Amino acid sequence: MNLGRFRANVLAIAYREAIVLRHDRAFIGVVVAQPVMMLVLFGLVLSNEPANVPWAVLDRSATPVSRRLIEEVQRTGYFRKPRPIAGYAEGRDLLRRGATLAVLVIPKDFRRDVERGRPAVQLLLDGSDPLSAARIGGYVGQVAARFETRRRPPPAVHLAPRVTAPVDVRQRFWFNPTLSDRTFFLSALAGMLLTNLCLSVTALGLVGERETGTYEQVLALPTTSVEIVLGKILPYVAVAYAILVGSTVAAGVVFGVWPRGSWIALLLATLPFVVASLAIGVFVSALAHRSAQAVFITVFFILPSFVLSGVMFPYQLMPPGIRQLGGLFPLRWYQIALRRIVERGGGLADVAVPCLALAVLFAVLLAAIRLRMRPRLG
Amino acid sequence: MSWRRLRTLLLREVRATLRDPFTVTILVTVPLAALLAFGFVLATDVKHLELGVLDASDSPESRRLLADLGAGGTFDLRRVTTREEIARALVRGDVGAALVIPPDFARDLRDADAGGPPPEVQVIYDGGEAVLAGNAEGFLQALVAATGRALVPRAPTGGVAVSTRALFNPRLDGRPFMVAGTFGFVLSFLTTLITAVSIVNERLTGTFDQLQVTPATSVEILLGKILPLGAVFAFDVVLMMLVAGLALGVWPHGSALFFVAVSTGYVFISLALGLIFSATSATAAEAVQKTVLFSIPLVQLSGFAFAVRNMPLVFRALAETFPATHYIRVCRAIYLRGAGPLELLPELAVLTGVGIVLVAMALRTIESRA
Repeated sequence: MNLGRFRANVLAIAYREAIVLRHDRAFIGVVVAQPVMMLVLFGLVLSNEPANVPWAVLDRSATPVSRRLIEEVQRTGYFRKPRPIAGYAEGRDLLRRGATLAVLVIPKDFRRDVERGRPAVQLLLDGSDPLSAARIGGYVGQVAARFETRRRPPPAVHLAPRVTAPVDVRQRFWFNPTLSDRTFFLSALAGMLLTNLCLSVTALGLVGERETGTYEQVLALPTTSVEIVLGKILPYVAVAYAILVGSTVAAGVVFGVWPRGSWIALLLATLPFVVASLAIGVFVSALAHRSAQAVFITVFFILPSFVLSGVMFPYQLMPPGIRQLGGLFPLRWYQIALRRIVERGGGLADVAVPCLALAVLFAVLLAAIRLRMRPRLG
Repeated sequence: MSWRRLRTLLLREVRATLRDPFTVTILVTVPLAALLAFGFVLATDVKHLELGVLDASDSPESRRLLADLGAGGTFDLRRVTTREEIARALVRGDVGAALVIPPDFARDLRDADAGGPPPEVQVIYDGGEAVLAGNAEGFLQALVAATGRALVPRAPTGGVAVSTRALFNPRLDGRPFMVAGTFGFVLSFLTTLITAVSIVNERLTGTFDQLQVTPATSVEILLGKILPLGAVFAFDVVLMMLVAGLALGVWPHGSALFFVAVSTGYVFISLALGLIFSATSATAAEAVQKTVLFSIPLVQLSGFAFAVRNMPLVFRALAETFPATHYIRVCRAIYLRGAGPLELLPELAVLTGVGIVLVAMALRTIESRA
C-alpha cells in the first residue's frame, strides 16, 4: 500500500465529510444542545442525595426531650416538616401509599429511658426505594448517636465533647469532601456526551448514506474500505475533541468542577475511547439495513453502556458477571480514566491500564469491521 | 365503524409485524435485556471493597479490629506500609477506602477502658465514587463500633439507639426498585419509538395512502394499527413479569392482574404519543429523533433512576407532567408495597386524565392528516 496515496485518500474523504457536516443543521443543533442539556441534568437536577424527604413522627413520649430529638433530625436539612401521627396503623398506611418515606417512633417511656441512660427509638423506612432508605437511615442514626441525652456539659477531660462511640472514627472524603453527586456525574460527563456523539452520528450517517445511494458513489472511488472508514471518522474525532474541551471548561466555569490532573493525560486518553466508540458506530452501520434499525441498535447500545459502565451507578457494587459485562463497553474504561484524571488528579501513568483496554477493544472492533464490511452494493 | 373491516385491518397488521424479524427481535429482546441489565445495577450494600490498611499499632487489639473488618466479606484488606502508598492507591482507584490505625491505638484503648477518651482511627474514603463512599461509610462505622464495644466493655455509651426496620424490602435490595422502574422505561420509550417508526414507514412506502382509499374510516385504520401493538406490549408486560420473577426472583407484592391492567392502560398513552410524533414527522428518521429527544429527559426526570423528590422545584414540577413519572410510581407501589387501586387513586386519576387528552389529540392529528 502506498502511504502517500493512503493519506491523500483519507484526507479527501475527511474533507468531503466535513463539508457535509457543516451543512447539516440538525447535527450542529445536536452537538450544541446535548452538552447543555446534560450539563443541566447532571449538574443541577439529578442527585442521589435525599432532599425534601416526607416523614412522620409517632411521638408517644411528647416530652421536651423527644421534641428536641425530632427537631435535631429536622435540622439536618434533608427532611420536610414532620407529620404527626397517632398510631402504627396510620404510619403503615402512609408508607404504603408512598406519602412518607420514614416513620420515627418514640416510645412512651423515652424520657425515663433517657434519664436511665438507655434510650431507644424505632425507625420504619420505606424499603421500596433502597438507596434513599439507606441514606435516610444513616442520617437519623447519626443524629441519634450524637444526641445529648444529658443537659449537663460533658466532663472536661473529654477533648472531643460529643464522642460517645467506643472508638472515634475520624473520617475524611478525599477528592470530593462533601460527597456531592454533582462532582461524581460531571467528571464522567464527557464520556456520556462522546458516547452519544460517536455512536449515533457514525451509525446513522453511514446507513443514511447507503439508503440515499451516496455510499455507492464513494465505493466507486479508487479507495479501499479502510480509507473510507478512516476518512469518514476523522471529522468526528475533531468534533469529539471540541465537545470534550467545551464540556470540561463549562463544567469548570459553571459548577467549579475542573480537572485536577493533567490535561495532556485527558486529551490522550480520549483518543482510544473516541476511535473505539466510532468503530462501534461503524460496526452498527454494517449490521443495520435501514436507518430505523441503526437507531434502535444504537439507542439500545448507548443505554446499557451508561447504566453498566459506572457513570451513573458505581460498577464496583454490581454482581460478578454483570460487572465484567460492563468491561465490554468502552465507556467503562474511559470513565475510570476520567475519574482518575478529573477527580483524583491522576496523570498519564495512572490511566495506562484503561487506555490499554480501550486500545484492545478498538483492535477487536476493527477486525470485526473488516470481516463484516466488504465493499458491497445495495 | 364496522367490526369486519377492523378485523381485516388487525389481521393485516399482525401479519406485517410478524414478517419483520427485526421488529419481533426488538420487541422481545429489548425488554428482557433492559430488565436484566437494570435489575443488577443498583446496590446499597458493599461487598469486597478494597480497603487499604496502615496498621502502625500492630498490636493484638489492632489485629483484632482488622480481622473483624475483613471477616464479613464487606471489605478486602490490603496492607500498606506508608501514607504515600495510601495516597497513590486512592488516586489509582486500587482501594476505595483506607484505614489508618495510629501507633498508640492499644494504649489508648486501655486508657479508654479506664475512663479516658476513646481511641482514634482515621478513615479516608475515595469521595470520587460518591455513592460507593457513602455506602461504605455506614458499614465501616458499624463494624468499628462493634469491635470497639467488644474491646472496651466499659466505654461510655451515650446517644439514642435506633432500631431501624425497612418495610417492604428489609434487605434494601436494589433489584425490585429497578425492575419495577424498567416497566416504565420499556413501555414509555420502546412503545413510542416502535409506533412512530411503524406508522412513518407505512406512510413512506405508500401503503398508508392505499389504506385510505379503502372503505375503512381513519379511526378504523388507527385502531387497526395500534390495537395489535397494544396487544404485543401487553404480552411484553407479562413476559417481563415472568422473567423478573423467574430470573431475578422479583414478583409483584400486589395483585398481578391489577398490574397488568394498569400497564395495558398505560401502553395506550405511549401509543398515542407515538402516533402524535409520527403524524408530525415527514420521515422515519425525524420521528425517531423526536422520540429520542423526548425520551432522554423522560428517562432522567421520571424518577426511573434518580428520585424526583431530590430535584429542584422547577424540575419536580416538570417531572410531574410526564405520564411516565406517574406510571413508574404506580409500578413501584404495586410491585414493592403491594398497593391496591384505592391507595393509588390520585396517580391513576392523573394517568387516566393524561391518557384521555393524548388519545383525543392523536385522533385529531390523524383526522387532520387524512
